[in-house]
Amino acid sequence: MDALAKPAFLTKEEKPAAKPRLLAHPTAKTGLMSWLTTVDHKRIGFLYGFFALFFFLVGGFEALLIRTQLMVPNNTVLTAQQYNTMFTMHGTTMIFLAIMPLSAAFFNFIMPLQIGARDVAFPRLNAFSLWTFVAGAIILNIGWFLPAATHGAPNDGWFGYAPLTSKMFTPQHSTDYWVMGLQLLGVASIAASLNFIVTIINLRAPGMTMMRLPVFTWMTLVTAFLIVLSFPAITIALVELMMDRNFNTNFFEVSNGGMPILWQHLFWVFGHPEVYILILPAMGIISEILPTFARKPLFGYPIVVFSGACIGFLGFGVWSHHMFTTGMGTVATAAFAMATMAIAVPTGVKIFNWIGTIWGGHLQMRTPMMFALGFVWMFMIGGFSGVMHAAAPADAQQQDSYFVIAHFHYVLIGGSLFALLGGIHYWFPLMFGRKVSEFWGKLSFWIIFAGFNITFFPMHFLGLNGMPRRTFTYDPNMGWNTANFVSTIGAYILGLGIFIYFATMVYTYLSGERVGRDVWDARTLEWSLPNPPPEYNYRVIPTVHARDAWWYEKNNPEELAQERAEHAKAEAAHGGIHMPFASIWPFVTSVGILIGAIGVSALGPDNATTATRLTVVLSGAVVMFLGIYFWALEGNEGYHLHLDENGEPAEEEIAADHH
Amino acid sequence: MFLKSLLPTSRAEFNRWTRAVLAVSGLALLAGCKFTDIWRMDGHQSTLDVAGPVALAQRHVFYVTCWVTFTIFILVGSTLAYATLKFRARSSDDQHAPPPPQSHGNPLVELSLIALSVGALVIIAVPTLKGIWYTYDVPVQQKGEALEVNATGYQWWWRFEYPTEEATVSGTVKMPLVTANELVIPAGRPIRINLRTNDVIHSFWVPKLAGKVDMIPNRANFLWLEASQPGYFWGQCAEFCGDSHAVMRFRVIALPAKEFSEWLEQQSKPARDVEPGPTHGAVAKAQFASLRLPDDFRPNETGVTGRFEIDPLNAWRSQQMPNKGEDPALIAKGRQLFQTKTCIACHTVRGVLGAQGITGPDLTHVGARTTIAGGLLENTPEELRRWIHNPGAVKPGNKMAVGFLQNNIHLQPDEEVALVSFLESLK
Repeated sequence: MDALAKPAFLTKEEKPAAKPRLLAHPTAKTGLMSWLTTVDHKRIGFLYGFFALFFFLVGGFEALLIRTQLMVPNNTVLTAQQYNTMFTMHGTTMIFLAIMPLSAAFFNFIMPLQIGARDVAFPRLNAFSLWTFVAGAIILNIGWFLPAATHGAPNDGWFGYAPLTSKMFTPQHSTDYWVMGLQLLGVASIAASLNFIVTIINLRAPGMTMMRLPVFTWMTLVTAFLIVLSFPAITIALVELMMDRNFNTNFFEVSNGGMPILWQHLFWVFGHPEVYILILPAMGIISEILPTFARKPLFGYPIVVFSGACIGFLGFGVWSHHMFTTGMGTVATAAFAMATMAIAVPTGVKIFNWIGTIWGGHLQMRTPMMFALGFVWMFMIGGFSGVMHAAAPADAQQQDSYFVIAHFHYVLIGGSLFALLGGIHYWFPLMFGRKVSEFWGKLSFWIIFAGFNITFFPMHFLGLNGMPRRTFTYDPNMGWNTANFVSTIGAYILGLGIFIYFATMVYTYLSGERVGRDVWDARTLEWSLPNPPPEYNYRVIPTVHARDAWWYEKNNPEELAQERAEHAKAEAAHGGIHMPFASIWPFVTSVGILIGAIGVSALGPDNATTATRLTVVLSGAVVMFLGIYFWALEGNEGYHLHLDENGEPAEEEIAADHH
Repeated sequence: MFLKSLLPTSRAEFNRWTRAVLAVSGLALLAGCKFTDIWRMDGHQSTLDVAGPVALAQRHVFYVTCWVTFTIFILVGSTLAYATLKFRARSSDDQHAPPPPQSHGNPLVELSLIALSVGALVIIAVPTLKGIWYTYDVPVQQKGEALEVNATGYQWWWRFEYPTEEATVSGTVKMPLVTANELVIPAGRPIRINLRTNDVIHSFWVPKLAGKVDMIPNRANFLWLEASQPGYFWGQCAEFCGDSHAVMRFRVIALPAKEFSEWLEQQSKPARDVEPGPTHGAVAKAQFASLRLPDDFRPNETGVTGRFEIDPLNAWRSQQMPNKGEDPALIAKGRQLFQTKTCIACHTVRGVLGAQGITGPDLTHVGARTTIAGGLLENTPEELRRWIHNPGAVKPGNKMAVGFLQNNIHLQPDEEVALVSFLESLK
């Protein structure tokens, strides 16, 4: 580094004095400000997890209300409008505010650790993604607190089929909240995904080749590409819908020649990859848990990775299997049916490989392993009913019936959620240095497992017996009474299991058993860290020699220790550990977006003057642009940490970051 | 800590806990209901207990997928179960044993499993393709005998039009025959139904006869179905279409060919006029007095009785007969109210002056239908009165409730009775 090559104002001596006060870097390490300004991927991951689990409970509560309404025929716990709002918000919440952000929590927390990085590529963009996600969640849910006659929470289904969403059929602002909420969540997801892609491609530790990446990181990469490629489709659809509702365009306005079927194509071009966005991270987690507790490497690593990528590619060519009943004609129906069946092959391959991983292992039946095995069983059932849907003539009967509800809850609860809940158990010791009690972990697993199956297995029969979904009531003479009753009881059992799970987690977080490093004798790099991992993650950037890098290191300690000592010296000579500054501007930018979005969605000709609406929207825009401006002005500086023997920061110095 | 005190000390204790929980939840379930009929899939909208060639073809494809996936499930599942049991660590020694050989996979096993999966999918794909083409349109050789019907979805009811049948409006004025919420078809003959919508997307589904096809604005969809035998079938909208989607229901009645043409002939006539004769006024009023009043119904109370459970087709036939004890004076009053209370603005009743509205269902022969309110309520005087008394309470958000409100329509109890008498007389 040549100090002379740098502009004078960036040199170490002058900088602190030269800073304008407004741009002073936030330094809080604890308290509210530290959370609002954090750019640490682990803290951001924690916040993603916190919000996701909160909304998971909200969505679960909505589900219990739905099941209570359907417990007996002609029930009156909810009105038709309330019921429609509940199933709309249950679906939207679970997909966009629970499962996706919970996956994002793992992407954030675990992925950089797995590739031996000190943070994601763009730490402030990461914070921006988080706060924009929160803004989207607020917009989606704001209608609950406003009068239902003119506002209300979204109630046109999570799929929002045109023309039901048009002003003519839904004049309330509820649909505007849905449009703006999803739009913001899309911004957050795309920003986060670009960040993850750049991180995985560029910030891998030396020796961490693509074919040595842990499978969870691979699935993060595939998922991030799916998000980047699929969200633009729904972004366009939502913009068109917003224009139709607010500026009298005619994309979906039937009376003026609009085409409602266009919405379905755009929605499912996003919506089907979204399904894989929900399940691929789960598959990644399972591919980490099974080898750890079988104590042998993943069976057929290359083919598991390849099939994951293959699912990602094929996932873009099957969207119309959600539209088999829209009268697409024989050839299109046949093509999408065949393509959909083809996806069963790479999916099946994964299951074979997971069984191959278990085969010949020494299985440690710990709680994460229980969830992982539960996942394989439940996902298998969900996959088989998926093949039944791929057979288009059979789907003509199943589509929009309870059979479909059974199918996708088997892949989303039995699949995604089991994996995520197992993942929390698995990485809890790393994240918090405490281990969840095996007894309470297993108890909650078995109750969740039983409750889940009692809830959703009877729905197969309900669907085959002709019960359509999204119905707030049914008559007692249809033969649906018993299955519905059993299903509701199952839902309460599932709720109890989830309650025990959460209570256990909170208890463990506060006063669970403390454990040391690498409690599971695991295989991937993140387990080489002390727990909880320090702010800078790796004292020395590791060098990777094998696929299961940490397992290799444990088996070759001398070689690695020597190598690490050399690298430590080199890094110290380089100026210590470089850390990014915390920043409030991503948060400010998101707040600006939130204000603008409220202006667009909550205000309209019916309740505000043009001047008021413009004022709100423009002030949001001003705050957003100020945020971006000061964010840009901050530059990409950071500071250096010099660690003492124990890994504690001995000294911090401001760094001019140009290396 | 409190929680710690609950922690079990051994594995055996854990198993006891698990068993206790499972046993309690199992007992709760058994106490609550009969388990046996959960497996029965022979309801009115069963997709397995089918009654026509299209639904049969769809069920065939479903059974193929069932058997193939069931076989794979047994094979893969038993392998997984075996591996889990065989390789699990059983003791503390197992837990701390040195790791097993670190094998990385076996390409030969992988490739053969992939080949097997592809083979299994081909077994499903062939009948799937056959089914797609068969269920799409009436087979060529049967095209000539197919009956064409236009079905239009409305929030939240169905309009059925027979474009080839002429119905008399009055004198020599004719229009295509239109009915609502009950589609009557000839058995043993393919029916080609053009699917249209008046507002949002609906989906036409009579599970025992055929899978669903959507009614989408600006899109000329159709489906075909056939009832092999005469019968009475339940159908329902299968695409979410707003507030009352759940109660947008209908019936399909399949009749023998001769009976079907008699029905067509009867339906083509204008609305029935009850001959003035000996008055039964006292009887009719007494009948109404014994009925439940509209406000006696609980919100969302079911509108079905057991009348259609045993022999629905004959129940439908009896509905075609004129009611006993009709009161011509009361009916005449009802007919007048039908005009003055602006019912005619939305409803067509052929033969009633001014009744040419098209926003609501055609009511020319409403008395002969077995259901009202979009297949939701059985067509009895008390249900009909419940419906016109407060349509919004029966079917949230429906247009009749909105119309009552906007046009400031209020019905007195005796007006309700007269209107019901008139509508029930329209056989």
